Amino acid sequence: MSRLPKLSEQIQDVSDPRDFLRTKLPELVDLDTLLRCHICKGFIKTPVLTPCGHTFCSLCIREYLNRELKCPLCLAELRESMLRSEFLVNEIIASYVGLRSKLLEIARSGPDGTVPHSDTSLIEIAPGDEGAHELSGDDDLQIIETRRNRPAKRNAEIVLMPSKKSRRDSEKPGISSMISKSKSPALPEDSAECPICQKHFPLEYLQRTHLDECLTMGSLGAAAKPTSPPKIGKASNETTVSVQPAAERISEPSVSANTTHSNRYLESGQKQGVARLAKLNFSSMSMQQLKSKLTSLKLSTIGSRQQLINRYNHYEMLWNSNFMDSIEPLEEKELRRRLASWEATHNSSEGTLRKGNISKLLNKNSTTRIKDFKTDRFDRKGWILAHQQEFNELLEEARHNLAKANKMKYSASNQDEVEDAEQAESHPNSISCEKGEIPSNQLVVKTEEISTSSQGTTGV
Amino acid sequence: MSLKRITKELNDLGRDPPTSCSAGPVGDDLYHWQASIMGPPDSPYAGGVFFLSIHFPTDYPFKPPKISFTTKIYHPNINANGNICLDILKDQWSPALTISKVLLSICSLLTDANPDDPLVPEIAHIYKTDRAKYEATAKEWTKKYAV
Repeated sequence: MSRLPKLSEQIQDVSDPRDFLRTKLPELVDLDTLLRCHICKGFIKTPVLTPCGHTFCSLCIREYLNRELKCPLCLAELRESMLRSEFLVNEIIASYVGLRSKLLEIARSGPDGTVPHSDTSLIEIAPGDEGAHELSGDDDLQIIETRRNRPAKRNAEIVLMPSKKSRRDSEKPGISSMISKSKSPALPEDSAECPICQKHFPLEYLQRTHLDECLTMGSLGAAAKPTSPPKIGKASNETTVSVQPAAERISEPSVSANTTHSNRYLESGQKQGVARLAKLNFSSMSMQQLKSKLTSLKLSTIGSRQQLINRYNHYEMLWNSNFMDSIEPLEEKELRRRLASWEATHNSSEGTLRKGNISKLLNKNSTTRIKDFKTDRFDRKGWILAHQQEFNELLEEARHNLAKANKMKYSASNQDEVEDAEQAESHPNSISCEKGEIPSNQLVVKTEEISTSSQGTTGV
Repeated sequence: MSLKRITKELNDLGRDPPTSCSAGPVGDDLYHWQASIMGPPDSPYAGGVFFLSIHFPTDYPFKPPKISFTTKIYHPNINANGNICLDILKDQWSPALTISKVLLSICSLLTDANPDDPLVPEIAHIYKTDRAKYEATAKEWTKKYAV
């Protein structure tokens, strides 16, 4: 594909579940996929549940239901009034999105377990366990060893785990005292920082056990750090520390209220006082009624009837999504601002701007040809000539893919591949050599007429 | 919305290309793609490469993409303009579908035509009454236009 660099850059920026594919945690591909909306393909924003059990972004599904009254996934009948907000899912996704980049970083870290983190002073703690140290040469054994040694390592964990983020400030002193206690030398490549609770654990343990545990509590972890006071001092006395944490963990949420996702969830509830905006039957409304309706919502009444209708419909969607579904509804003012920004791209002077938008995105050459797309006037010949190279590249790509699939399927029958390869070689040549001749795989029959007309269009 | 979603699909296709088809934008315009489908081995279209034009509406994915063949093909559900009669491209479209899934559906339409809902009744008639003749013609067209 001869894509411009700008486009490929754009594509690289897209976050994709498969970011985790070649990392140490490929299982996260599944989780990452599940948290995305099947309409916009992004992480679900303000999730709503359908009676058929599917979850979408509130705005995505509402916009879709303005056109079709069915679930996009199972095609069951669906109406806007059936949607229910899912605060828990909202917070789970928000929490996951917040730590995704860290997770990715951890999962991508080198095969020896080194995390691209400068904080080496902390990493040294985990291998304080002698058992793990002894066997550190053998990866397979070590996994078992790390697990088996968990009780023995408990001291270290007790000091670390309970503190969670609340003890972050005093963490270093505590940890350094631990290090001095454990006589064994540290092995930095053995441990990694948990992206959620910021504690350091042996890598295998982190990946296999701790991350799961921590992820379930992750919502607590991500946001509480800054606010919670450093309660525990030096971890010099291990017994006192091990008692304290349990109590601390319970009290912690109230300390850092409003900041953690779990607290936001706990405090969520039906918002009172704001009524759902009704769908209007515009056909029975006079222009005057329509305008007064918009005025009562503090919306502009400028524009054609159709524009006013579009304006109300979009605002109704924003409003209901915001006040009915959102865990933290925005103010009306913000909704009006969003409506205005939507109108700027979608609702000014009817279709003309829409078209303008597209043609801005199209390069000048193709615009003229695209206009007649799908009609008989569509200049197929011109199109094919103009994009011959891309077609040929696609051809190569497709053949390559097919060859690969064939190779896997029937490794015995090589003949097809050879044929394919021959065709692939001969085909582009025939096109490039004889300019006047139509490549055989084209719809257009009248050669000269159309090719001249196509040159005309290309020139424009 | 539409641009973001199209970008995601493109990214998706790049990372996990479906076997026997490929697709990508025309130049730098993300709303216009072209695609190619290899004729399925178990069909009379085997050995042919068929090109398609894809046009995303601005309200994609709420509206289906417009897809048509630019390569001539003999098929009861594809007419001389390359228009495809496929339910998921019309009333059965769902925003949960992707270009990749649609292309795979078109592939299976090539293997299993639907003569009961034809776009070209003549071909559908031959398909139903004289299958051998249909296959011969389809093969001939493939050889002539798609190889």
